[in-house]
Amino acid sequence: MLDYVTSYLHSSLTPGQAGNWLWALVYILVIFAGVSGIVIVMNWGERKALAHMQVRLGPMRVGPHGLMQPIADAIKLLTKEDIMPSEADKPIFWLAPVWVVMIAFSVFIVVPFGPTHAVTDMNIGILFMLGVSSLGVLGIVMAGWASNSHFPLMGALRSSAQMVSYEIAMGLAVVSAIVMTGLGGIGPYGIGSGAGSGTLSMIGIVQAQAQQHVWFIFKFFPVGLVAFFIFAVAMIAETNRAPFDLPEAESELVAGFHTEYSGLRWSLFMLGEYAGMVAVSSIAITLWLGGWLRPFPSTHGPAINIPFLWEHPEQGVVDFAFSFAPALVMLALAFFSFFNAMRMPKHPLLKIQTIGLYAFGLVLAGVGLILLAPPVRDRIQDIFWFVFKIACFMYLYIWYRATWPRYRFDQLMKVGWKVLLPLGLGVLLVTGIIGLGPEIAAWLKGVV
Amino acid sequence: MTDSTKSGFYQETAGPDQTFLDANELVLNMGPQHPSTHGVLRVILRLDGEKVLGTECVIGYLHRGVEKIAENRTYTMFNPYVDRMDYVAAVSNGLGYCLAVEKLLNIEAPPRAAYIRVVLTELNRMASHQLWLGTHALDIGAMTPLFYTFRDREEILKIYEKYCGARLTTHAFRIGGTLYETYDGFEQDVNNFVKFVTPKIGEYEELLTTNRIWVERTKGVGVLSGKDCIDFGVTGPVLRAGGVKWDLRKAQPYSMYDKFDFEIPTGENGDTFDRYIVRIAEMRQSLRIIDQAVNSIPAGPIMAKVPKVMKPAVGEVYVSIEAPKGELGYFVVSDGSTQPYRVRVRPPSFVNLQALDKMVRGALVADVVAVIGTLDIVLGEVDR
Amino acid sequence: MSIAPLLNKVFMVDLIKGLKVTFKYQHPKEVYTEQYPLERPAIAERYRGLPRLNVNPETGETLCIACNLCATACPEHLIVVQSERNPATKRKEMTSFTLDISRCMFCGLCAEACSTDCLELSQDYEFALYSRDGFIIDRARMERGSEPTVYTR
Repeated sequence: MLDYVTSYLHSSLTPGQAGNWLWALVYILVIFAGVSGIVIVMNWGERKALAHMQVRLGPMRVGPHGLMQPIADAIKLLTKEDIMPSEADKPIFWLAPVWVVMIAFSVFIVVPFGPTHAVTDMNIGILFMLGVSSLGVLGIVMAGWASNSHFPLMGALRSSAQMVSYEIAMGLAVVSAIVMTGLGGIGPYGIGSGAGSGTLSMIGIVQAQAQQHVWFIFKFFPVGLVAFFIFAVAMIAETNRAPFDLPEAESELVAGFHTEYSGLRWSLFMLGEYAGMVAVSSIAITLWLGGWLRPFPSTHGPAINIPFLWEHPEQGVVDFAFSFAPALVMLALAFFSFFNAMRMPKHPLLKIQTIGLYAFGLVLAGVGLILLAPPVRDRIQDIFWFVFKIACFMYLYIWYRATWPRYRFDQLMKVGWKVLLPLGLGVLLVTGIIGLGPEIAAWLKGVV
Repeated sequence: MTDSTKSGFYQETAGPDQTFLDANELVLNMGPQHPSTHGVLRVILRLDGEKVLGTECVIGYLHRGVEKIAENRTYTMFNPYVDRMDYVAAVSNGLGYCLAVEKLLNIEAPPRAAYIRVVLTELNRMASHQLWLGTHALDIGAMTPLFYTFRDREEILKIYEKYCGARLTTHAFRIGGTLYETYDGFEQDVNNFVKFVTPKIGEYEELLTTNRIWVERTKGVGVLSGKDCIDFGVTGPVLRAGGVKWDLRKAQPYSMYDKFDFEIPTGENGDTFDRYIVRIAEMRQSLRIIDQAVNSIPAGPIMAKVPKVMKPAVGEVYVSIEAPKGELGYFVVSDGSTQPYRVRVRPPSFVNLQALDKMVRGALVADVVAVIGTLDIVLGEVDR
Repeated sequence: MSIAPLLNKVFMVDLIKGLKVTFKYQHPKEVYTEQYPLERPAIAERYRGLPRLNVNPETGETLCIACNLCATACPEHLIVVQSERNPATKRKEMTSFTLDISRCMFCGLCAEACSTDCLELSQDYEFALYSRDGFIIDRARMERGSEPTVYTR
């Protein structure tokens, strides 16, 4: 038994591939908790960031700077009366939010947070992700239909049409990235056909980027960038976020497909939505932004070897410097907390909040210090960079939401079919032409 | 408006060219509790998918009988009630009513009062347009301009609070002039506001005017040509966006508006985008008027000689002013007693709202929201 | 289409301009929110809040001469002044004064009508109550003036 547990520790495979069910279960639980944690942080972060962009303060009362607000919200939503419209189709009404959450979390089975940090690595990983994530629309349609009400129905119809249209552009962009894995030259314009791995596996895609010494967003510049742009637009539409938030357009359809939902069921929709955002962001990160790789993954610098602090002779000074990033970010956040705690107005009512903020800063600083320890520092790198990239994407989501108006339905379709789809086809074509450049040239020579 | 059971509202498209799609019509009840009907307006939409086949407005959820109240109040006592019609432009309402009763009494406000009135009314136009811009942008999905406009409108409300003690329903003017003398630093506050808000209007424009989503959502949406506007009796920025250069401040100057130099911005296409551009330009023109007026307020009394008990001679007057939303008219009938025999208000929102059906027929649901926003209705004024 | 607008469109200058504005406003010093119970707004001197009956600061006697002008001026007829003639001084003296602030619209017509400096709209703006009963305020309350509820933990 103990062997079964420890045997995996020396494996360089994901638990799913290694066939280790116990560790797979552990990974599933950790990822479930981690994504839920991201959703909670995102809930707070969105309200704060949005508020500050709108010259407001956002939540300030529950905990210091509203840090406990998501918890208070969760308690409130869980204890709310469970309302089901009397005319609703009850089984489907019940199933819809469960379905949405289930789908949103299933996607994370293949998301690689590190070279071995995934539940499993399928050889069709990216197809699995696209396929499963597109099932989420079914939950939305079910919710809209089962509510037996006009606004949700319209929201559901909009949602289904929107997701189906954007899936195509998204798919084309993804194919372009997959083609790049097979064109394995080194560097942005490295063209060497047949040298690449040509894989659909999520981990394989990131490893291809590592081998080719380039994130695919920069490969064949600007082809990769355009493909990424297409995906970035499509993924906002996929997750029903502004400016493509038509299914729940609050100024038109009240709340869209979840108008009739409240309490726990509604919170499940929210959980599903935010988990979905994390999921599509991780696809984008995996395909174009180098997954768990740090920036400049192939620059190592001169090799150094410091006893205890850095004992990786094969890696260089740049790796050494980057290995401090997680700890530094945590310490910066801790400093930010302390700074804000000091800026808190001196008022007896705010005393507890100030102490709370100091405590929060201390926790962050503690985590930062733990991250400084050499063994932790080595192991946290992959996960840190992945989560850091997710955080950047989440910020972009909020930023877009704060800034732009909402598309109308026909315009949304226009963007999807008349702009992104041709662009996606074009990108795919150009990727192929550049990638097979030597062969085409040789063939042309033969013809001439 | 019309009674839904008799108007043929539900049968209108039934005819030889009816397709099988028409059989799937959806009647959607928008409001009175809806986030973007700007209050308690209820619009019954007849939809074919997302396409609007017809609309019907149901109004009256905010009816308080203001016109009837007038018949039981003296002329002075009715003054605060007019603030509650278009509550985002309360000062303009007050100005219209005061001008009407002054005409009935055959008196005229002294120049100093008239200048103060102009400053406050133009500030009010700013405030009204800012609130319109924020809510209109929110309807179209841009959340943030709402907060910027509210922040800037707050400065106007602060000036009001300092001037007359109330922020929204100000009751700033009295029949015969103004009750309140300007406070110390009034001119400076207003000048500071003008300096403060000029770049802010640029910011609203940066967020919206060139934004492709905003342009796509507003260009060609809810077109109401100048001729249609005149046919419907639509006034204000909606009319001017249709290309008709009609502004009561120029056409029949009241309260010394002929002393100020300003332009009437007009649009060309009469669509939602033009109305947006016209209102933004009007904000800038308002600032111009405020700038001229506040720096040239003449000295003198602020109140004309008004009898303690107002008993106008038997007669009737109609006085209309250019409120932020259009022509705001007061028709006051006197029977010689201390109370008006009848006060009829011509509310711009109510008249403008009638064009809704014409503007949204054939458009999409999202356009209905945009058009309700662009008409700039205030339900307090529609229902009175 | 000439080249500049095309480039603007392709590189999404219009969208980025908006993003710049919202990004700029994230700075904490741009926050406009007032944290109400902690920061209290500055109330203008002329603010029309809760009506107050002034008393002579030296003698503590009311300035009201029970002329009933405020009750006449009130558009909503919310003021009831009761008075009786003092046989000693032969003057009307106010015995009770009630005002229904639940319907009051703070138009200030009563304060304008007051022939002495007695009735005045004060700067008090915190008079929310949990029940409607407290909204009909009497002379004692109006002479005491502002008494904001102090919330404690």
